[in-house]
Amino acid sequence: MTECESMRARLALLLYGELSFDDEERVESHLDSCVDCRKALERERALHASLDRVEITPSPSLVRECREELEARLADEPRPMAPNWWDKLVDAIAIRPSGGFLRPVGALTLVAVGFAAARMIPAGGDVQGWISAGLALPGHVRYVEREPDGRVQMVVDETRQRIVSGRLDEAPIRALLLAAAKDPGDAGLRAETLEILDERAQSAEIREALVFALEHDPNDGVRMKAMDGLKAFGQDPEVRGALKYVLLSDANRGLRTQAIDLLVGQNRAFDRDMVGTLQEVMQQGEQLSYVRERCRRVLEAMNASIETY
Amino acid sequence: MQVKSLHVDETALIRAAQAGDHAAFEQLVRAYDQSVLRLALNLLRSPEDAHDVYQEAFLRVYRNLNSFRFDCSFHTWLYRIVTNLCLDHLRKRKVRREEATVLATAEGPLDRMESVMEQRVEGDPQRHLFSGQVRSRIKQVLGELTPRERMVFELRHYQGLRLRRIGEVLGTTEEAAKNCLFRATQKMRAALGDFL
Repeated sequence: MTECESMRARLALLLYGELSFDDEERVESHLDSCVDCRKALERERALHASLDRVEITPSPSLVRECREELEARLADEPRPMAPNWWDKLVDAIAIRPSGGFLRPVGALTLVAVGFAAARMIPAGGDVQGWISAGLALPGHVRYVEREPDGRVQMVVDETRQRIVSGRLDEAPIRALLLAAAKDPGDAGLRAETLEILDERAQSAEIREALVFALEHDPNDGVRMKAMDGLKAFGQDPEVRGALKYVLLSDANRGLRTQAIDLLVGQNRAFDRDMVGTLQEVMQQGEQLSYVRERCRRVLEAMNASIETY
Repeated sequence: MQVKSLHVDETALIRAAQAGDHAAFEQLVRAYDQSVLRLALNLLRSPEDAHDVYQEAFLRVYRNLNSFRFDCSFHTWLYRIVTNLCLDHLRKRKVRREEATVLATAEGPLDRMESVMEQRVEGDPQRHLFSGQVRSRIKQVLGELTPRERMVFELRHYQGLRLRRIGEVLGTTEEAAKNCLFRATQKMRAALGDFL
């Protein structure tokens, strides 16, 4: 296969933004010096545009019909069984999402709960027995359920503090930091944790945590930290997806503006996906005038139209 | 993008629906049902089949919601159900001749799909210039792809899912999804090259 053939085979993936950073770099530097491959890229763009035009969007009447029938069918469905207390316990302990590496910890916790319950809770598991056995009352009741015989069954959390120290490249330390980065109750803790994790953003799991924080954290400062940590990865497809989401949806204008800089960088070449995102911003409200102005300038630099037709 | 903005409240909605809150389930349906219908309609090119997939997919979600453990996103879980149903339909078509979307009528050929399409680009001069010949060739080529190639292409090109997510939805690797997309685009390029 000649170099041109090899490059042309990658053009579709280039337009979809699915090439690795190195591959994209190779293709783009080849395109700079090869007129025939640039023409092939234009043909590929024309193919994409043609394919866009045969997309079908369901009519409102079809959507309405589907919803009405579903509603009628659901009315005839028996109510699904609610999960039992054990399912809820498993669910409460499970670490999610994208926390597969902590699942063994969750499983061990379950085993430990079962073992401790068997060893520590006196026969019958009543609270008085628990207290008389010298056990401290738990700090948090996670789940409660009345049993058929009138007794009440509860799942309780026990909290003990420990000091843990270690290096960032130790798996348990990383696991704890990644959990702290999602602690819903403490924005300061999340921001400090992300700042520590920033320096290891080349690791996929840490980058994933930064992307998650950038897209979902309710605190502006935490999202800002996450974006700082991702600055060097503006070409990574997942990071670009998160930056586009920020550009389109984030409530903070500063973050949206910074997202444009990171997405576009020094590259003013026409990029179909990027142009689409920028045009979408242009259609948003007047209160985003500064962000829209930035988008307009980038679109002009790319020789792209300001609005969609 | 719209799906992502719902993510923060989605966990609460799913938990409420799991606890039997019908309104919460309805909100979940409404958050995703238009994308589900669009996917099924574009893949199957039959409003009746898309309607069936819609019903079956959301009934399965309703019946199995309590087994959803947040191991993956709700979007991925739902799309697994939808893509499996669509793949079943596409595979069945390989063994039986499917009803054509264009019907011969006294007034000339009538495309059944026109009645269920939203006329989003009405007045777009490019649409008028776009040759009917190319449209019908594209539809033909899409119909000639294998069900998996068709699915990966649909999810990437029209639904905008990343290959990694497509791999998760279809229970395969990102690399396998990439190969599928590569084959699909190669076939379309070969078939449509003369028109471009």
